[in-house]
Amino acid sequence: MTGGEVGTGETIVFWVCGTLAVIGALGMVISRKAVHSALFIALTMINLAILYVANSAPFLGMVQIIVYTGAVMMLFLFVLMVVGVDASDSLIETIKGQRVAALLMGIGFSILLIAGLGNGLMETSSIGLETANSANGGNVEGLAMLIFTDYLIAFQVTAALLITAAMGAMILTHRERWYPRKTQRELSEERFAAGTHPGQLPPPGVYARHNAVDTPALLPDGSTSDLSVPEPLRARDDVREIDTDDIEGIRKLSSGSSTTDEGDR
Amino acid sequence: MNFTPPAIDYFALSPMIVIFAAAIVSVLVEAFAPRTIRRFLQLLIVFGALLTSAVLIVLNAGTRTVTGGGAVVIDGPALVMMGTIVVLSILGAALMAERSIDPVGDSFAARASSLPGSEDERQLTQRGYLQTEIWPLTLFAVLGMLLFVTANNLLLMFVALEIISLPLYLMTGMARRRRLLSQEASLKYFLLGVFASAFYLYGAALVYGYSGSIFFPEIAQSLTSKPSESIVVFIGMGMLIIGPLFKIGAVPFHQWVPDVYQGAPTAVVGFMAATVKVAAFGALLRILYVAFGGVRWDWDPLIWIVAVASMILGSIVALLQTDIKRLLGYSWIAQAGFILVGLAAASPAGLESTMFYVIAYGFATVGTFAVISMVRDANGEATNLAAWAGIGRKSPLVASALSLFLLGLAGIPLTSGFVSKFAVFVAAIEAGATWLVIIGVIASLIAAFFYVRIVVIMFFAEPTEQTASVVVPSAFTTISLSAGVAVTLILGIFPQPVLDMLSNAGLFLR
Repeated sequence: MTGGEVGTGETIVFWVCGTLAVIGALGMVISRKAVHSALFIALTMINLAILYVANSAPFLGMVQIIVYTGAVMMLFLFVLMVVGVDASDSLIETIKGQRVAALLMGIGFSILLIAGLGNGLMETSSIGLETANSANGGNVEGLAMLIFTDYLIAFQVTAALLITAAMGAMILTHRERWYPRKTQRELSEERFAAGTHPGQLPPPGVYARHNAVDTPALLPDGSTSDLSVPEPLRARDDVREIDTDDIEGIRKLSSGSSTTDEGDR
Repeated sequence: MNFTPPAIDYFALSPMIVIFAAAIVSVLVEAFAPRTIRRFLQLLIVFGALLTSAVLIVLNAGTRTVTGGGAVVIDGPALVMMGTIVVLSILGAALMAERSIDPVGDSFAARASSLPGSEDERQLTQRGYLQTEIWPLTLFAVLGMLLFVTANNLLLMFVALEIISLPLYLMTGMARRRRLLSQEASLKYFLLGVFASAFYLYGAALVYGYSGSIFFPEIAQSLTSKPSESIVVFIGMGMLIIGPLFKIGAVPFHQWVPDVYQGAPTAVVGFMAATVKVAAFGALLRILYVAFGGVRWDWDPLIWIVAVASMILGSIVALLQTDIKRLLGYSWIAQAGFILVGLAAASPAGLESTMFYVIAYGFATVGTFAVISMVRDANGEATNLAAWAGIGRKSPLVASALSLFLLGLAGIPLTSGFVSKFAVFVAAIEAGATWLVIIGVIASLIAAFFYVRIVVIMFFAEPTEQTASVVVPSAFTTISLSAGVAVTLILGIFPQPVLDMLSNAGLFLR
């Protein structure tokens, strides 16, 4: 990649990664499930990283993967898994015709932007980063030079931003305990006093074919036990269907009318 | 590779350094000081830092320098804006420090993390917990504003914009009463705010693509030196100014204003309405006058459209409001339009009148919200206009103060609002935008109607059993209120010293 010229390889990389990045961005907005959205962002981020590397900015590309795809996206996924999300996003429009209007405005804005930029950049040739990268002996050195000269103040005050963000997260989530911590004994007394389910909940059903947490345990009468599947999965309606043959087999087993010869699959 | 560290004029930057250092100390106090003395320490730090910063700004008078590797510019207008921001922050912080108006504490939730209406919340409130984290947040917001008006490149300006925004998003959602409304406002502000920031960033990238630099003087130079102006730079400029225009709540970037005004704690609205407007206009002036000063004819129509839309929409929709905080939100939108009329003049007179307007507006606003926080009924603040009927007969002094602010905002003679409106309109006429001034005067008349309507409700309506009562505040609110009254009157009767100061401040350092 010499400065000023865009080679065939770079053109191919651009069209492939650019398309994937746009698909990821659209998928993030359109998909109904939060986890899918998060994965779509990861797709966009990785493709952007490849584009950065192709544009002779390897450091930015690597940071993009490590920080965004690696750290931030994985944190998103962890949070989604721990908190558990209700799948039923409200799709009711509170303002009538809002979605159509937003769509029209969005398309209109994109046309304006693409036409304007396409027009303005038609004659422009690319300069490339060769000169900038070689000025201080490399991409990373060049960045370091800028960070500690021209953008020193911006770099320093970013600290204020990070402190605020960390403190904000704490303000919104940190619960302070105003009551004394309960002892083991008090906790267990409370559990029994409630009279619902003092012990552990039943584990998910584990068969030769499934051992996933979304498989409900079967009760002796062949019905499934809701208690055996984690709450978030139930809320999302992600509980696995049980094969009727299995249920039939178990019912026969428990009534003593059959042997295990059916379990040869 | 030879590295020469950039020269930093520490004295010129000292007003910001003091605030930054104090903010960090204040975070440490949150982490390590026992809960019982936290509030006391925080108030000491916050007011100490703001006063020190104000003194340092005064000592810096006359400084005209570009420092920190060209990233920060300290010049006359910047010092005026910084001084105004710091003084208004002191008054705003005083409103936030008020603890004797609400019988259970200050105007912030005992713990923002407790669920509204839960047992947790009730217990924490009863035990007198205070969310003292608002103080470091306030200092960070002030730091952001000081940087916003002094930034000399698009990157530092963006970082400053975010440093202003994050604390304000948080503080908006922390009201003690009507918490769901407050949290909803916070979320709306946050979502729309990041949307506006994204526009700013995209615009900055396009401007960089055209001019090869994000430093304002170099952008200005590339605009004059290049043979043809590309459409790319104008798309970039249009998107760039969405950032500050969002912060000043100009139409069509105004949707968050009424909700945030209504939902946020009144003290925070007083703080943010006054200071953020100064900061955002400071930044907008610098972008348009310094970086894009050479292509004035290309951005003027843009500002005209936004100004006219803000004045008309703000004034007319405010007529229909029944909640006083919401009404003032729409009045904020209309006022943004009036100030933009002065800005559109793109002349030294435009710069001076815009600065005068934001100063006058800032003090009147702090005072207005000081009064609103004092008018209460059993459920907390009585913001419904019905509860204001006949307040003037029960508490003539407080009602007169509010009337003064409202008449000031309406632009009645002998108040600061008249002088500031006069100044921006004269600047616009000199610049040849007479038609804009005519629309401005018509919008002022509409706006005067709803301001005067509140005065009429307070003094000429019979008190009903719905009428709220005025709580006697502590010294904190009293100081803010009196400062607001004093400045509104002084700027209305003897504006000359301040006008002289503004013209001595000179122009932006390019």
